[in-house]
Amino acid sequence: MGRIYLGYGLFVLGLLGAAEYRGWSFDSVSQRKDVPRSVRDNPGSYRSVYGGYHHYTGGK
Amino acid sequence: MDVVIDAPDRQAAAPRVKGLNCPKCGASLNVRSFDHAVTIVCGSCHSILDAKDPQLRILQEFEGKGLAVHPLIPLGTRGQMHGAPYQVIGFQQRTIEVEEVHYSWHEYLLFNPTKGFRYLTQYDGHWNDAATLKSLPAAIPGTRQTITYDGVTYKHFQTADAVTSFVLGEFPWEVRVGDSARVSDYVAPPRVISREATGTEATWSIGEYIPGRDVWTAFGLPGQPPTAVGVYSNQPAPNVGSIWRPFLMLAAALLVVMIVLSSVAGNSNIFEHTYTFDTRKPQMEQHESSFVTEVFELTGHTSNVELTTEAALANNWIGVSYALINDNTGEAYDFGREVSYYSGSDSDGAWTEDSSRAVTVVPSVPPGRYYLRVEPDADPGPGAIRYKVILRRDVPSVLLYVLALLALAIPPGFATWRRISFETARWAESDGSAPDIGSDR
Repeated sequence: MGRIYLGYGLFVLGLLGAAEYRGWSFDSVSQRKDVPRSVRDNPGSYRSVYGGYHHYTGGK
Repeated sequence: MDVVIDAPDRQAAAPRVKGLNCPKCGASLNVRSFDHAVTIVCGSCHSILDAKDPQLRILQEFEGKGLAVHPLIPLGTRGQMHGAPYQVIGFQQRTIEVEEVHYSWHEYLLFNPTKGFRYLTQYDGHWNDAATLKSLPAAIPGTRQTITYDGVTYKHFQTADAVTSFVLGEFPWEVRVGDSARVSDYVAPPRVISREATGTEATWSIGEYIPGRDVWTAFGLPGQPPTAVGVYSNQPAPNVGSIWRPFLMLAAALLVVMIVLSSVAGNSNIFEHTYTFDTRKPQMEQHESSFVTEVFELTGHTSNVELTTEAALANNWIGVSYALINDNTGEAYDFGREVSYYSGSDSDGAWTEDSSRAVTVVPSVPPGRYYLRVEPDADPGPGAIRYKVILRRDVPSVLLYVLALLALAIPPGFATWRRISFETARWAESDGSAPDIGSDR
């Protein structure tokens, strides 16, 4: 049991090291490819995944 | 009746036996403990005979036809216990009644001509290796619940009246079916001390829990021992301490990893800008409010990018859609965040809902030249909203360390839960009726 746990612990530490080094995150981010260069000149031509969402109006 | 008596063989690994015949059924009897035998039980008709009487007087006839019990270790089987050869010479089943439920266990009497007697007990696949105590345990003044023996404290587990319900073989005491004794068990796993009281006499024995497979190995028995059911009174609990020690070592290693990785992390500020979104502009114009930043360089290895959005708000909100776009490859990381701040008062008093700061961590962004496309959105209103965008590169994540610590704690936590469940199951079978042992001598 002790050796198995020690192996498991070293695996967790290794995974943590890789996650920290590579900058893993649980935040929701969408990846898109081949965004045209024209976006720099015309930002409005880009359609964001998150644009036009319904927002929370707040208050009790 | 033919009687042949051989001298006791000091090499108990292959003892000879005394040949006798049962006076009731005529079946041959084997006497393996020689002069030690006080009663013999016929293996055929189960009559209990007086071994000290030359005529083998019948002490008790077996009346439980069909109720005979077959020992798991046959009488006469030889094995090695504690480095000495022992032979199984007697077997008895004893029964207690608790809340109108009968519980029976088996006791095997083992004999070695020079070492004497010891016992193996078995209940529901749980085995104990037991021997008579040579000195009495000490009672602890003021409590009946604990005793001490050889520096170890034993806790009272159960007291019940045990009735002998079946016997077989030979015994160095007068045994009868129906004999009753008040049996008290005190446990300090893996050991148990038992007190058996009959009238004014009390005898003490000490047992140690042993796995069934050890019994099978010791006596060279075929097949597998019966599977142990439930938790036994002196069954050793899972060893939890041995797993918390490596946990502490790994937690210390995690701390070292955190210090090292945090010291080598870039954690650099890429840019910090404050923008203004004018909510007074017409709705159509707002939809074209998007803009892009200057191109900036993300250096180093593939790592995260942390983007913070802050806004000074009053009962308002602003949502910002972002795209972190690689100027060379056209690859984009698209995400959005909303910040808000509301306050007011009602019958419960003043209240606030402050979410005026939002942090997004974009994972595993390769190095390169990037720019941000920013698209703010808010309800049309009377004024402008100022919001700040802060971009950082290679930022250590506390959350990952917390998750790693939790992952390390799961196995010892589970083992501890098992240990607690084990002890709960053990003591669920206990009672509080410890006897007064002050008069034992």
